[in-house]
Amino acid sequence: MSVKPPRVWVSNARPARGEIVRVRAQIEHIMESGLRVDGEGKPRPRNIVRRFEARLGANLVFVWEPGISIAQNPYIEFTFAARESGELLMQWVDEKEVTLEARKTLTLA
Amino acid sequence: MKRRHFVAGGVALGTALVVPAVRAQSKAAVLPQLAPNPAEFKKAMADFVGRAKPLETGLKLEVPVLADNPSAVPVHVSVTLPLSDQLYCKEIIVLAEQNPSPLACRFQFTPFTGSAEAAARLRLSQTQAVHALARMSDGRVLVARQNVTVAASGCGM
Repeated sequence: MSVKPPRVWVSNARPARGEIVRVRAQIEHIMESGLRVDGEGKPRPRNIVRRFEARLGANLVFVWEPGISIAQNPYIEFTFAARESGELLMQWVDEKEVTLEARKTLTLA
Repeated sequence: MKRRHFVAGGVALGTALVVPAVRAQSKAAVLPQLAPNPAEFKKAMADFVGRAKPLETGLKLEVPVLADNPSAVPVHVSVTLPLSDQLYCKEIIVLAEQNPSPLACRFQFTPFTGSAEAAARLRLSQTQAVHALARMSDGRVLVARQNVTVAASGCGM
């Protein structure tokens, strides 16, 4: 997978209780669909990001399971209600089981 | 006046050059690996809907009508029904009807999420309809669809 860290934007790191927080995140990944061929006409082996998870503390907030129809350098945006302070942990896993992580601290105002 | 004639001539010439190019491109057959997969599309739809009767309300799907870059078409889905701890959205799927792999992605939510909204970027192999289906915790299935025209520049796969 990429060496560059994920880019993550959080609408408000100090939300009120119950406030809807919006997260935008993007990583660099080729998202090789397995449909493309190389210069010699051989198919390039498929490797896509197969799962994205976001957890706030111990609670699962959001899961994304991309297929091959998702664009390169996958971008994901989601929202959730801020119910507690904690660390928002985001994890990407590709089909070679390479993982990437990003963390954002959320503190209820 | 001279300039106007010159500009008009330029436009005419440009059209004459561009139109055959576009024709040639659309004539180039879709690569076999990029052919649509209607069987898989139907199966993905049926698997998700199950025995529920799909409702055409409560789910908002936002996709541009014209996708100028087919390799990254923004798609945004959100459930507009009022959500609570008892009624929440379990899962949303996005389907690209004519893509070789129609099931583009799944978004899953939990009672802890407290909302049901997500956005991602698709690659589309051709002009087609994008579908979104949502499953609520009470078993209701919501559907939405939108046609997307893919610019002639080519294919996003």
